Amino acid sequence: MESLRDIKQQIKAINSTKQMMLTMKMVSSARIRSAQQTMLNGRPFAQKMASLIDNLRKDIQDGENPFRQNKYYRYFDNSLGDKNKVGLILITGDKGLCGAFNAVTLREALRWIRENKDKEKYVFIIGKKGADFVRRIKMPNLHIVCELINIFPHISYVHASLIKEKLEQCTLEENLSKVDLIYNNFKSVASQELVNKTFLPFDFDEIEGEDDLQNFIFEPGIMEVLITLLPRYIGANIYRFLLESQAAELAARMNAMESAANNAQEIADNLSVKLNKVRQEGITNEINEIVGGANALNN
Amino acid sequence: MAKIRLQIITPQKPVLDKEVDFVVLPASKGELGILPGHTEYIATLKYGVLRYKIGEETQTFAVLGGIAEIANNNVSVFAEGAVLQDEIDEETARQQLEKAKSARLQNDKAIDLEQADQEIKEALLLLKVKKLQSGKLKNKKK
Repeated sequence: MESLRDIKQQIKAINSTKQMMLTMKMVSSARIRSAQQTMLNGRPFAQKMASLIDNLRKDIQDGENPFRQNKYYRYFDNSLGDKNKVGLILITGDKGLCGAFNAVTLREALRWIRENKDKEKYVFIIGKKGADFVRRIKMPNLHIVCELINIFPHISYVHASLIKEKLEQCTLEENLSKVDLIYNNFKSVASQELVNKTFLPFDFDEIEGEDDLQNFIFEPGIMEVLITLLPRYIGANIYRFLLESQAAELAARMNAMESAANNAQEIADNLSVKLNKVRQEGITNEINEIVGGANALNN
Repeated sequence: MAKIRLQIITPQKPVLDKEVDFVVLPASKGELGILPGHTEYIATLKYGVLRYKIGEETQTFAVLGGIAEIANNNVSVFAEGAVLQDEIDEETARQQLEKAKSARLQNDKAIDLEQADQEIKEALLLLKVKKLQSGKLKNKKK
């Protein structure tokens, strides 16, 4: 049987662990607020770009437009590119202790890799967990194009444009037919949503274009405007995905830490019940001994 | 008199949202002045100087390329970066310039060169805009 001292020590250890978890939870929840704010700040830019592009797209899709010869045309037409070459942008976290966040993302990544096992795969990794995971997979047709680690929680647009440049370069040089994206969408503090979708070529069904650009004058011309727009649009989107993933990771960590702290509390409660029982047992024994002793003297 | 609503938006955040009288944009084929009632227009922007006027007061921004949409007395500028003249730190910009220049000399990978070039361009623009301001201050003193 455990001694009183052992149990007391255990309770102390568990309480300090609980304290640590609560602190981590507080840190995450403080950061979520600022992450959410940055996310909201970045939204107007991406939305406006999307609706502009959507409008311009209608102009270039009919007929023999010179834009069809442009290197950016591949982002609009999914029949282009080498069907045996695909890309993946994988966004995970840098650190653990955030519940199933990384595990779920990596499982999806593994599924993607299996799905495309006969194709040449080009992977762009953001986050240490993802990098460690993909590096362990030995496959001759799996290429790591770039890995960015330890950029959370201080991501900025610079990181996004770095990925964008690598992505553009790789898509052109390797003639990728499509680029998929796996990341976690921040739905609310309580829930994150794992997203696996095709990033390039663009899927215009999700873009809502509101304004009509029929009467606009373009300077220098529609094509030049599109060429200026597209890289910025891609950059802004990647930036958004990074922010979403960051916020989702923080939310996941917050929840994981909260339930861990609750668990610790439960264990501590059980232990203190046990402590009391052991103490009571000791007291009862002592009383028994005293009464027994007294009885022996009386007889 | 009618006003123009000027919005400057960068990927990080909306920088400015104001009612103004007159805007000058650094369009890719030369400066573009906009008064209320301007026709619907979409222009690409180069690295340059954006000015706007409210009454007699003029403000200046350094704009790092992008695109501008003009419609219904709304001017929306989508730029990779935009810095208000007063917020430019001359010393930082100069340091950035020096750093980028030395990076340019040491590197020979195309992508690094491009980045260094970009940084040089950015720093030069910031310095130029800052200079405009100090020039103006001097004139006032005279």
